Parts: sequence; structure tokens; C-alpha cells
Amino acid sequence: MQKQIVIVGLNHRSAPIEVRESVAFENVYVREALVHLRDYPSIDEGVILSTCNRVEVIAAAGDVRSAFDDINGFLAQQKAQRHAEPLDDHVYTYEGAEAVRHLFRVAASLDSMVIGEPQILGQLKQYYDAAQQAGTVGAVLHRLFHRSFSVAKRVRSETGIGSGAVSVSSIAVDLAKRIFDRFDDKTVMLIGAGKIGDLMARHLQSHGVKNLMVTNRTFERAVSLAEKIHGNPIRFEDFPRYLKMADLVIGCAGAPEILIAAATVEKILRERKQKAMFFIDIGDRRNFDAKINNLDNVYLYNIDDLKSVAEENLQERASEAEKAEGIVLEEAQTFVRWLGSLEQVPTITALRQRFEEIRRREIEKSLGGSLKDLSAEQRAAVQDMTTAMVNKMLHGPISQLRKSSPEELEDPTLYVAALKKLFDLEDK
Amino acid sequence: MDALLVKLTAVVYLGVAVSYFFHLFRGASASRLPTALLLGGFLIHSIALTSLFLREGFATVAVMGDALLFNSWLMVGIYLLIQLKYPLAVLGAIVAPLAFLMTFAAFAVGGGAGEIPPGLQTFWLPLHVTLAFLGNAMFALAFGVSVIYLLQERHLKHKKLTILMKRFPSLESLDGLNYRLLMWGFPLMTLGILTGSLWAGIHWGDYWSWDPRQISSGLAWLLYGALLHGRITAGLRGKKAALLTMVGFCVVLGYFLWGDSIFPSRHGGRFE
Repeated sequence: MQKQIVIVGLNHRSAPIEVRESVAFENVYVREALVHLRDYPSIDEGVILSTCNRVEVIAAAGDVRSAFDDINGFLAQQKAQRHAEPLDDHVYTYEGAEAVRHLFRVAASLDSMVIGEPQILGQLKQYYDAAQQAGTVGAVLHRLFHRSFSVAKRVRSETGIGSGAVSVSSIAVDLAKRIFDRFDDKTVMLIGAGKIGDLMARHLQSHGVKNLMVTNRTFERAVSLAEKIHGNPIRFEDFPRYLKMADLVIGCAGAPEILIAAATVEKILRERKQKAMFFIDIGDRRNFDAKINNLDNVYLYNIDDLKSVAEENLQERASEAEKAEGIVLEEAQTFVRWLGSLEQVPTITALRQRFEEIRRREIEKSLGGSLKDLSAEQRAAVQDMTTAMVNKMLHGPISQLRKSSPEELEDPTLYVAALKKLFDLEDK
Repeated sequence: MDALLVKLTAVVYLGVAVSYFFHLFRGASASRLPTALLLGGFLIHSIALTSLFLREGFATVAVMGDALLFNSWLMVGIYLLIQLKYPLAVLGAIVAPLAFLMTFAAFAVGGGAGEIPPGLQTFWLPLHVTLAFLGNAMFALAFGVSVIYLLQERHLKHKKLTILMKRFPSLESLDGLNYRLLMWGFPLMTLGILTGSLWAGIHWGDYWSWDPRQISSGLAWLLYGALLHGRITAGLRGKKAALLTMVGFCVVLGYFLWGDSIFPSRHGGRFE
């Protein structure tokens, strides 16, 4: 029986978070669930994917209809443990070529909430490994998943889908990288001990920043944050004196007043011999004088600037996604062709045998009956002629089958199935 | 034969320029193709130059076209060396068109005036010319680096972030490279002027004759000197330094290209 890829699932677009949560698989139970899934007679191979944005069952099955029914039942059962409402409205199903394409899109992060986010590939690998350990992966899903990993890699390297940061703190680091060549010899001053500043500081540290000063109106908070992130606490009234040592200044004091004026920075710059400074006003309220940005060798970005960069980068990703869709389609076609070819070779052999059988039977009948007076030479000629006829008749269909589905996402398994049915070629 | 090689060099450099731009605006991953192409162009360039010098002697650098050919060869050579340590494809996108323009001008200008009397053809000639041209090449590269710096700086100030910008090196490294090129270019230029002056003193009897070429290179020398001094002592860096570097190169280039025809000088073919 020809194996097909089937996918049943729900994601951030098809279902609200409560519904997704109700069918989500907890990590520790995945193995158990996989084994349970495989117990359905219609499912030959299966992988479960369960992240905060999607729950999907990817399976290889002979009978698509009953596989869909079984997986739906399987998911409903999972849900039944928590809620009673039906899932039907929230579930999507894919089969054959469309299923392959869907999985490739998921792996390439084209189906993600934030297009191009890199985590999904790791999650996919993790769930594939779990299925492999549970023994629910066979030749078809093995190939399908490994293909999807390399498609994701290809999309990442050939398009800009993952380029351009989309979170505020990674954009700030990105910008800092365009100003500074290296971070290990730079000093960061954090003004305000808020959560976002903490996050920002950690992000910079992961990029090599070693020297960090933390200041806050309440000195104790500066001390405790400094301890957490291995920085040096500074009293709030002292920070202007230390400012000239800072290459990156992050403001998130939450105070509704300007803490650093342009004239101050101008003076500091002279003391620093014009060494570049980067001010990031990351709080909701402005702490740095906007005129700072007009000074040479100084750059000031506030939270709105960073957000608008994020917006631009998201749009950029969306336009890169079109390129990625092309790659995914192409790869899905190749995969489907491979899947079809699994059945092609035996089908072609069976077709040839069938025709040869008929020819031989008819020749034997004729040569033993009405044509029994033919000379040896004539007999040979009849043999040759009939063989040639059979070959010529089969040439068209066979070559069509071999190159099946060239342009569109057409399913070559259709041909195989049709031939099997028409010529009664069921596997013996 | 030479002319054909020079034309071929120019064509290859044009191709390199196109491939650098294509790489900057389109390619998703870094490519070595433009640099490999540039190396190919440089090899043809080297053959053309060697064959020219073998046939005409080094004194042929007095001819404008041949001077351009030699100077652009030095520039591309230095860029390729820099490339080994700092893979700056963006700088290539400036060097390649510049190299194309110079080699194109080399055969477009062609022969023209420029005979150095045999009496002047001593060891001073290659010494003076090579030093001066090496300085020019450093400043040409510094010019390219400054252009990129200003583009990058402008983008950052105006908060317009493009994909193109992502391929630019950081301001810090551009400024650092600019400084290093100046540190090399300035002494070379100084030596170029000194050797020229000594040469003139020995053969003409006056070390400094207020020749327009001497005045213009003196101006450029003062400018670059002030820039270097400012950098070392007063923290003159970033945008202002980039602008001054560009002005300095314009003085050098402007006189190199057109000066002789406007202000007749002893460099412009009348070496009597």
C-alpha cells in the first residue's frame, strides 16, 4: 500500500491559546502518547509536535481517510482530559504534497507567529528525536524530517528571512555593533534598575561586554541588580561623574525628567577625546535630551526608534518570505517525487510483467493453433513483432510515470494508483 | 598588445565593480567571487604594467596614462593586501569602480605629453614616483573608507536601517582603518615630496620652485598633517576626520588629473 504523509494540527491562527493548551502534550508524556498514536492500525509512522504556538501530528499512513479520523480521535481524547468542546473548528488537515509543504513551511519558520524566528527548527528536531526514541519513525518520516531540516537551513542561508532583529534588545545590540567593533573593551552604564534595563544589560554581556555600571535612585536596588549581573553599583548623585567612562548608556529610570542634557554630553565628549557614545533611552519616558543625537560621534535611540526598526525588519522578513515560499515549494515537489518513486519502480516492473505475460500466452495459443505451420524464421519474426508492439505501447505511460509531476505540485502517486487499478497490479 | 591588456584590465575591473555591487545589494551570504575576480584583474594589470615598463622603461610614468596605470595598480595591490586581514567587501565596491575609472582613463588619455630627458633618468625617478604613488594609493583607499564611514554614520543618525548597512563594517573599525591608512600614507607622501625636492635640487639647482605640483602636494601634505595631528592630540575622529580625508584626496586627485593642463608645471611634460 502506498504511504501518504498526513498532518492534523492546530496553530496560533486556527485556535486560541486556551484550545491549543488543552491539547498540548507535556514533554514527559510525549513518548507514551507516541506509542498510543502508533497503536491505531491506520498509522504507520508518527511524530508529535507540541509548542506554545502549535500542536501537530505528522504521520505516514496507507489509508488517508481513516488516518485523519484516527488522529482527530486521538487529539480529541487528549483534549477530553481537560475540556469537552469539540475541536473540529480549530483543526486543519493536510495530506500528500500539501502536507509535505506544510511541514517544510513550519521548519523554515514561514508558519511562525514571528516569521523567521529560529526556535521552531530546534523544537522540531527535539520532537523528531523523541519519536525516533519511541520507535515511531520509519523510512518515510525519517526522510521527510531530515529533508525539512535542510530546507530550513537552505531558506535561512538563501533568503534574509532570519536577518534583522525584531526584539527591542536585540535591535539595540545590532545597532551597537554598527557603531562599535568589539564590546569587550567597552563600558556600559545602566541608569535605572528596571526589568528592561536588566534584560538589555544581560544581552550586551552575552555579546562580550565586561564592564558594567549600575545606578538607581534607590541605591539598594542598584546594588542588588549589580550583584545579579556582576556590575558595579554607583550612587545616583555620582553617576554624572562616571558618565565619561561609559561607551553605552542605557536609560530606563522611569523618571519623567531629562537626566542627561546635550550640553553635558558635549562636555564629556571633549574629555573622552570624541570617542563614540551610544545612548539608548529604553524606558517609556524620555531620560535623555533628544538633541544628544545632533552631536558628532554620538548616537541616541529611544524606545520608539527601536520599535520602528523592529517594524521595518518584520516587513523585510515578510518580503523575504516570498522567496522562501518558492524554495519550499521546489523542495516539496522533489520530496513528493521521491515518495512517488518508492512505488514507481515496482509498478513499472509489474506493468511490464503483466503485458509480457499476456503476449506470451497469446503467442503460445496462436503458434500452437492457427499459426502452427509457420517456419522457424517466421515464428521468430512474430515473436519480435509482438515484443516490439508491447514495448511501443508501454513506452508512453512508463516515461510519463518516470518524470511525473514536473512543474506543479502534482502528486505522482496518483498515476501509480491509477495504473495499479487499471491493470490490476496489486502487490502480490 | 599592451593597449589590449590595459583594455582587458579595465573591462575586468568593471565586472568586479558590478559583482561587488551585486554582492552588496543582493547576495544573502558572503561571497569570495568579487575578490577572486579582482585578483584576476590585478594579474592582467601586472602583466600589462610589466610589459609596458620592459618596453618603454620606468620613465614612461611621466606619461599621464601610464602614471594612472601604475597608480591604480598600487591601489588595487594594497587593497588586496588589506583584504587579507580585513575582509571589507564594501571597500571593494569603492576600489573596483575607482580602479576601472583609472585604467579606463589610462587608455583613453593614452600617450600625451611626458618625456623625461635622459639626464633626469636616475635612481631618483623610480624612488620619487613610487613613494609618491604609494602615498596616493593609501589616500585613495582612505577616501573609500571615509565614504563608507559617512554613509554608515548618516544611516545611523537618521535611523534609517537598510540591509545594505548590515554589510558595512562598524564605525569604529572604519575609523580605525582610516587612521591606519593615514599613518601609512602621510610618511609615504612626505618621503615622496622630500625625494622629489632633493631630485629637483640636484638636477635643477632649486629644491623648491613653487611649481604648481609642489604647491598642490604641499597643500595636501599640510591638510593630512593637520588631520594626523588632530587625531593624535585632540581626538579629531569620526565624521570630521572622514570629511577631511576626502577633501585631502580631492586635492591630490584633482591636481593629478587636471592640474597640469590648467597650471603648466614642470611635471606636465616640460622637464627641461
